Amino acid sequence: MDTQTANAFLSLLAFVAFAIAAVGIVVTGLAVSAPSLRVAVVELLAGWWDRILLVAFAVATVATIGSLYYSQVADFVPCELCWYQRICMYPLVVVLGVGWWRRDPASVWYALPLAVAGGGIATYHALVERYPSLGEGLSCSVEAPCTVPYFREFGWVTIAVMSLAGFLAILACSVAALIGARADRTMAAV
Amino acid sequence: MWFFVGGVAIVVLIGVIAVFVSRGDGDDRSETPGATEVAASVEIEGASLSPFQPGDDDPAVGEPAPAVAGEDFDGAAVTIGEGGRPQLVVFLAHWCPHCQAEVPRIADLARGGGIPSGVELVGVATSTTSGRDNYPPSEWLEREGWPGSVLVDTAGNEAANAYGLSSFPFFVVLDGEGRVVERQSGELTEDQLRDLVDQALRSSSSSTSSTSTTIAGP
Repeated sequence: MDTQTANAFLSLLAFVAFAIAAVGIVVTGLAVSAPSLRVAVVELLAGWWDRILLVAFAVATVATIGSLYYSQVADFVPCELCWYQRICMYPLVVVLGVGWWRRDPASVWYALPLAVAGGGIATYHALVERYPSLGEGLSCSVEAPCTVPYFREFGWVTIAVMSLAGFLAILACSVAALIGARADRTMAAV
Repeated sequence: MWFFVGGVAIVVLIGVIAVFVSRGDGDDRSETPGATEVAASVEIEGASLSPFQPGDDDPAVGEPAPAVAGEDFDGAAVTIGEGGRPQLVVFLAHWCPHCQAEVPRIADLARGGGIPSGVELVGVATSTTSGRDNYPPSEWLEREGWPGSVLVDTAGNEAANAYGLSSFPFFVVLDGEGRVVERQSGELTEDQLRDLVDQALRSSSSSTSSTSTTIAGP
């Protein structure tokens, strides 16, 4: 698979991740704003929370593999902000993977700080790519500058945008899994 | 089980779509026919300049610049640092947004008569990477109407390293004897560009004055 195909593949997956995050936001909004829907939403999550946790694990895994492809195969040197995002994303593979395997929703509590921190850094990284003056001033360093994306697939999807999509999807799935697991336990107790 | 199978099927479908999408993109990234984006080699004579650091005291000022002989995208000979007439050398990376902003500014300055014939403008296409944004540099510079000649650097950025490049864009003003008058890095305004051109012109006047003095001596 050449780099252009990888860019297209991972960019399309980023669209899916954004869609997952959007669904999470919409469902949360519905549950909060329409109490009549809340019961139905919670019941749905109660029955699917382990699968949702699996999706979060899959997103973290694909993001990690994609990140390693770009640095180890495509020879894209990670910039400083890329390294910070890697520090947040790579452990999520283990945390969410073990959490799903053990059907342990408490793993979400370990994943959430990493996803929030990673999402924040990815947001900043995407901003400085769009507005370089926010980052390195008026010049590009010879080494990997964080303000310069290696590519813009479909005109706007960069590695930082992909990273942001991944962190948002993991956040949405983690919160949904936590809500569903709690409801599942409550219903089981009853 | 079916959830897992469904997920894998979606990912495979996305992969197939990506193959077709990337094939279409690939046609758009063909190189300009006949253009060489990265030089196999350049000839460098003389000591390299120290790495540039912004500040008032640049140790390279007054030092002879290394003479670099190479070619442009079409194979025509281009040299920097050999002397003869003042040069404004601009090191550019196609993927750098500050270079992308600077090139049209330089082109506009030249169109407005801001770079007189007494100063030779030479761009150096360096740090060229096919997988990065705004590739190939030959198409970029042609599209922007680069007003001077272009020296194509090697894959190892030998010309850039010889001149002490530390960040992009990088400007080096050379006098008529191939000595460094000024070095600057980072995106410059039109006034700052005019100042570099003026420094090159003044260095030409200084060289002419010293020659006259020598001729007029006993």
